[in-house]
Amino acid sequence: MNSETPAFSIDAEGIDAEKIMAEIKASIADKAARGLYRDMRIAQAERANLVNLGNDENFLKYYIECLRNAVFVDINDFEIREKRRLGAFLLVAFKRIVWNLLKFYTYRLWSQQNQINGLLVTAIESLDAKYRGRIEALERKLAAADKEKNICHKDAQESTK
Amino acid sequence: MSGMQHLIFVSPRFAEGPTVGGAETLLKLQAQRAQKLGYEATFLTTCARDHFSWRNELEPGLRRVDGLNVHFFPVDENRDIAAFLRIQESISRNGSYTPEDEQIWLANSVNSSALCDYLRKQENDNAWVIIGPYLFGLTWFAAQVRPDKTLLVPCLHDEGFAYARAIKEMFCKAAGILFNSEPEKELAKKLYGLGEEKCAVVGMGMNPFEVSPSAFAEKHDFHKPYIIYSGRRETGKGTPLLLDYFALFRKRTDLDLKIVFTGSGPIDAPPELEKHILDLGFVPEQDKHEAMAGALAFCHPSVNESFGIVLLEAWLAKTPALVHAQCAVNRYHCQKSNGGLWFDSYPEFEEALLILHNNRPLRDRMGNAGEKYVLREYDWKTIEKKFVSALEQFSKNSLAKPQRSPR
Repeated sequence: MNSETPAFSIDAEGIDAEKIMAEIKASIADKAARGLYRDMRIAQAERANLVNLGNDENFLKYYIECLRNAVFVDINDFEIREKRRLGAFLLVAFKRIVWNLLKFYTYRLWSQQNQINGLLVTAIESLDAKYRGRIEALERKLAAADKEKNICHKDAQESTK
Repeated sequence: MSGMQHLIFVSPRFAEGPTVGGAETLLKLQAQRAQKLGYEATFLTTCARDHFSWRNELEPGLRRVDGLNVHFFPVDENRDIAAFLRIQESISRNGSYTPEDEQIWLANSVNSSALCDYLRKQENDNAWVIIGPYLFGLTWFAAQVRPDKTLLVPCLHDEGFAYARAIKEMFCKAAGILFNSEPEKELAKKLYGLGEEKCAVVGMGMNPFEVSPSAFAEKHDFHKPYIIYSGRRETGKGTPLLLDYFALFRKRTDLDLKIVFTGSGPIDAPPELEKHILDLGFVPEQDKHEAMAGALAFCHPSVNESFGIVLLEAWLAKTPALVHAQCAVNRYHCQKSNGGLWFDSYPEFEEALLILHNNRPLRDRMGNAGEKYVLREYDWKTIEKKFVSALEQFSKNSLAKPQRSPR
């Protein structure tokens, strides 16, 4: 459950949406540090958002974190239910028996799938870290080369004066 | 003002009835206002009403509709829909396609040879031809008839189609572009390298209204707090994202918040959410405004807007907004007005909605700030001035252009 909200002050001069958004981001960072978004359901809810933010590097980092939180599925995290009213009790009992009989096989599948999920997320994380690092290094080099080029250009201009 | 200057408006559909989109409404209202200002306005459109099938449903010919002379022309029925869809898919995802593919795509989009022929016959008329929105074959071919007199009302979005070479060529050839917002103009300048002299931001005026915030709850016996979405329900408008976020918000916060939908299209909600959704479907404007006025927030998850009519309407109902941060136009409106917040991920959605839910004074202040912004920026008088000055600017540009010497 999470219904914490930071105390926002409304100043007398009026509303500043940018300021509120900055406070929201600070509050999210704080909550993330406290693990309040370690929730596998967030990764599912973000599915439809991937297309909007596919080119946003920060979103990719955030989505990989969501995947990390969602990767190990709890096989018992579902309720055995029955929508039909008639004989619902019996049907639920029957489903439980079937579930218990199949447990041996499903647990093996589940454990293998969890392992694969974990390995895949680890691979994506390391790829992201590797390319993020490379791009940052290239950007630094590029900035340094630009700076050097500007200095040379200035020197050349001064020497021609 | 230009006296009886003739303006020819062209749009693939004419805004009549509930299913027409914002772009068509905007063009119709611009034509009506232009007529009131003393221009002679003529509207050219097709006999289609449905933007999926483009079937000829209306009678061709000239009719007087809502004070305008409207010429209805049949849509060409020789479309190769399979070829169109194949290339459209590639263009929409910024895939690989050739200039020839683009031509096949445009030729098999909605077109009306009869409309273009009519436009050709008006060649001696000194009228401005105001055409939009940008995405259709008809717009492209109509813009080729008299590019030096063509003014586009593109309703441009940052999507795959905007990157097609043919679209760039259409923007570059047109005499001027009438944008709906600053971010839309900036996008076009970035994509097509347009000069400032070819661009003008006009948009559409918004009519203020008075509604009681409690009217909706009383009428529908609906007394729980709710957020509202108005418009078409489709992936492009972000409604699946809104449903996923809202379902998770309810689970994570344990708040009994509801969601009200107005507009057309199916709502594909998870079963556990169904009882927390009130789908009003297409409702009269008054009902929509009442529903907006009673909401905690108006939520607009679309990332493709060129103007944001419903967002501005929600502010006129004094309701704060929550919009997708990747929609440059809606975010711009929120930043300029301080009437709304934005999100680009679930945690931001949750935090922003919690703040609006828990803080009534903040909601009121943001709603009022939004209303002030719309009244200040989108008053019809202001828009009319912008429209007239845009036409004057484009007339000056065309006079300043060197005339071709006779051979």
